[in-house]
Amino acid sequence: MIPKYLTSVKKVDNEEKMAGLALFTDDIQVEGAYFAVTLRSEKAHAKILDIKVPTLPKDYYFISAKDIPGENVCNIIVDDWPVFADKETNYIGESIGLVVGPDKEKCLDLLNEFEVTYEELEPVFEMKDSYVHKEFTKGNVDLFKSSAKVFSESFETGYQEQAYLEPQGMLVYFDKDDGRLTVKASMQCPFYIHKAIMRVLNWPEEKIKVIQPAVGGAFGGKEHYPSLMGAQLATAINKIHHPIKMIFDRKEDVPFTTKRHPSKTDISAYLDDKNNLIGLKIHVNIDGGAYIGCSMVVLSRALIAATNTYTFENVEIIGDAYHTNKVPSAAFRGFGSPQSIFAMELFINHLADYLGVDRFVFKNKYHVKTGDVTSTSGIFRDEIVLDKIIEKAKKMSDFDRKFKEYSKPNSNRGIGISTFLHGCGFTGSGESTIINAQLKIKKDKNDIVTFYTSQVDFGQGNRTTLKRIVVDTLGIPEDHVIYDAPDTSKTLSTGPTAASRTIIIVGGLAAKAAQHLKDIWVSGKEQEIVEPYVGPSYIKWDEDKMQGDAYPGYAWGANVVEVSFDPVTYQVKVEHTWSVYDVGHAIDERIVIGQADGGLAQALGWSYLEKEEAVDGRFMQKKFSDYIVPTSMDLPEMETALIDNPFKYGAFGAKGAGELTFVGGAPAFALAFEQAIKKPVHKIPLTPELIMELVKDED
Amino acid sequence: MIKYFVPKSLKEATEILSQNDCYILAGGTDLMVQKHRSASLLPTFEKDVLFTNEIKELDYIKVDKEGVHVGSVTKYEKMLKSAQIPDIFRKTIEQIASPGIRNMATMAGNIGNASPAGDTLVPLNVFDAYLVLSSTRGERKVLVSDYIIGVRKTIREKDEIIKEIVIPNLDLEFDYEKVGSRKAESISKVSFLGAYKLEGNIIKDFRVAFGSVSIKVVRDKEVEKKYIGLTKEEFINRKEEIVSDYSKLISPITDHRSTKEYRQKVACNLLSRFIDNIK
Ligand SMILES: Cc1cc2nc3c(=O)[nH]c(=O)nc-3n(C[C@H](O)[C@H](O)[C@H](O)COP(=O)(O)OP(=O)(O)OC[C@H]3O[C@@H](n4cnc5c(N)ncnc54)[C@H](O)[C@@H]3O)c2cc1C
Repeated sequence: MIPKYLTSVKKVDNEEKMAGLALFTDDIQVEGAYFAVTLRSEKAHAKILDIKVPTLPKDYYFISAKDIPGENVCNIIVDDWPVFADKETNYIGESIGLVVGPDKEKCLDLLNEFEVTYEELEPVFEMKDSYVHKEFTKGNVDLFKSSAKVFSESFETGYQEQAYLEPQGMLVYFDKDDGRLTVKASMQCPFYIHKAIMRVLNWPEEKIKVIQPAVGGAFGGKEHYPSLMGAQLATAINKIHHPIKMIFDRKEDVPFTTKRHPSKTDISAYLDDKNNLIGLKIHVNIDGGAYIGCSMVVLSRALIAATNTYTFENVEIIGDAYHTNKVPSAAFRGFGSPQSIFAMELFINHLADYLGVDRFVFKNKYHVKTGDVTSTSGIFRDEIVLDKIIEKAKKMSDFDRKFKEYSKPNSNRGIGISTFLHGCGFTGSGESTIINAQLKIKKDKNDIVTFYTSQVDFGQGNRTTLKRIVVDTLGIPEDHVIYDAPDTSKTLSTGPTAASRTIIIVGGLAAKAAQHLKDIWVSGKEQEIVEPYVGPSYIKWDEDKMQGDAYPGYAWGANVVEVSFDPVTYQVKVEHTWSVYDVGHAIDERIVIGQADGGLAQALGWSYLEKEEAVDGRFMQKKFSDYIVPTSMDLPEMETALIDNPFKYGAFGAKGAGELTFVGGAPAFALAFEQAIKKPVHKIPLTPELIMELVKDED
Repeated sequence: MIKYFVPKSLKEATEILSQNDCYILAGGTDLMVQKHRSASLLPTFEKDVLFTNEIKELDYIKVDKEGVHVGSVTKYEKMLKSAQIPDIFRKTIEQIASPGIRNMATMAGNIGNASPAGDTLVPLNVFDAYLVLSSTRGERKVLVSDYIIGVRKTIREKDEIIKEIVIPNLDLEFDYEKVGSRKAESISKVSFLGAYKLEGNIIKDFRVAFGSVSIKVVRDKEVEKKYIGLTKEEFINRKEEIVSDYSKLISPITDHRSTKEYRQKVACNLLSRFIDNIK
């Protein structure tokens, strides 16, 4: 299909959201629904010896591991996360059980009357017990031994809270019509919840359905955690046969649900006696928390992205995810790559400084070109327009002039540029081996077309864009196409709403299905097509060895951030940002710009405002008054340009845009900030308290 | 049973207070947060509640020779829009919360809440502003700095209500800085107000107050006196001594918002910059 223009349409959910008509989980009323509140562990690591349940009034229940008919396990990639902590607890805030009953207030009062007896065990808070280890090399790393010099640095990034507006929440009931256990929840992946419930109840697929109501933001935070809530509430409703609602308070959601992995990345550059770069060794360490969950996949992505937009001949890449007695870390926009790219972007600039060469000339020498071999020995196949992206970003921001000007002493101002990439879709052959998306599209006698996906629109606009792909492919009026929010009893799985895969993968699938329907179109006849996903044939991936083509395609970008620094208060102000992205062909420019502004804002927050500190396994910042996300007042004018570079396998040439816009913000910010204070940076968030220390050790 | 009162006049309010031990609720932007329990549950008050919002006669900004009188139910947004409110107060209020909150919140509430981080408390201290407390027994005037005696502790008697706040006239040069964690919706880590008056070359008046670095706003009239009457040059030459005097007076803490080291250092930096900028 030939790309059209970068036009924008009104989002299909605009009006219902603006008018407050959209129903979010807590807005949905099921008559007589009970409430559930969670009994949480007070210990980071302990044996649970006894749970003293208070006398429960009529209609009040305590639900715990004992009530699970199936297995006490919530599968999040691996099988290590229990639905309810039973004999042992591994982090503060882990669910031990639910108190369920008609009056929420009473449930909360009862919660205070529980007495849990623990036998404390030694907790681990530092990254020292690796539970996932990966390593791979490219080229000849034996050459490192012959190096004359080694330049090494270490970089750290912190936790990040997803800070979706709508907290986690779920409603379960038995549908009067079909008798199915019905789940409505704030979520990203309906089928993950569906599967988690099958497992915990030992039920067949047909007895359950998961339906998506309006969802107020997710950012990865609702990829896995709702599965746990689903397993817990399913256990409860299976016992008491009564509708139940569980809505988290912010002070429960922030400290006890999954976060972005904190990281520490060590990079060494091996140089010969003429200062030529022989190669790099990169070791990425991420704090996975109490359960592995998806940490191994996050680690994979972090490692694959570790060389960022550079091709090095010889690289050794090592990764470890560590077990600690803290809230499990899990999915978050970027999925590991922001951490390693942050390290690489700073490192390559520092390395150029160390070698005494021009940063931009040096980086340019290593920039990826079409046909280059990736760090996993795959090939960058699509047309790479990195040089155009950089040129445009520099021009928009008047970069060269400012860079020179701000490098003068006491400028207290700085400008930084990052380049970055994001592999779209699941890592490796995951799309065809794990997910196996199938998309159903059908047409009734009146030629009204309905298509089904399991993609959740949590604000990012895919309800609009996916529908548009089908409408445009079929060339029929918009109101002849019906596309509703997912319901697992109606749709086949088109996979999770994650990994920037929705448009590139599901959009591509929708376009194909629609085209096939068009090909066989007979007016007035009922027709149906089930379109299976077929990946590009070049994708070959060995997850154990981390070798092959890691992604079907890559999206690219550059961020320029300008900051000023106040040496009296140690505060930084972001003055302006400029961004250029290659997301293939943007089907709806405004939606992409929405992702661009939001992604960068979130990345800036991660860079200098959002601090989540775990002291002895307990998060200190629990509310938005102390976990500081940027407000509109903190954000500068953001200019964004898109470079049209249609991708062969995406719908209408589109690649992914959701995560790409996050990954380059932190390094661009940090590089700008380094220039403002004339010192290298190795750690974020750059809070004023940390900056004070950075600046201090100079005087 | 908890009772809720919505008096329409000050007289009615003081009569209610003479009979009932009440929470006084103005904008509720502190009280409702403190009493918040859980999503979908109403806050619980363990005492009766008196709402001041309908006492329209206390919604005013008036000026006379004593200074500016701000009725206790006057909202921040109204103060922001009034040219009668001294600029430095508007500059302070502008940086409080966000428009939505400022449409509800009051300065009386900021005082009543007696938080170390209450932003208006800093200029109120520097201006020697006072309150008029009203009860069926009559009225009394109390300096804001005397009214607050600790964190969330005031000398209000159960039957009293803040009727108004009086900001005396003060013609000085000001330097205010709120150091929060972001540009809006942010609780102060440190706040600073410096003020001085130069007549010819003589420092005729000099006042300094810090917020969020102690249980109460830090202001010390003895220290101020030490430096009033100096020439500008003498004053500036004694910068280190001034900073050191104040450095001893403040005793910040480390909490989930910041560290005591940061608060201490920034407070001193702000004072230094203020002195450097005296022209
Ligand atoms: C999102 C948010 C952001 C905020 N940002 C800031 C900020 O930047 N800076 C800041 O200083 N504060 C901030 N606050 C706190 C709060 O808004 C202020 O302290 C505000 O001034 C309180 O006013 P109120 O009218 O809402 O007080 P209320 O909550 O109604 O009352 C507060 C206290 O004052 C007492 N009180 C109120 N009226 C009277 C009266 N007439 N007589 C006697 N006692 C009385 C009450 O009994 C109570 O103890 C913020 C609050 C929120 C929710």
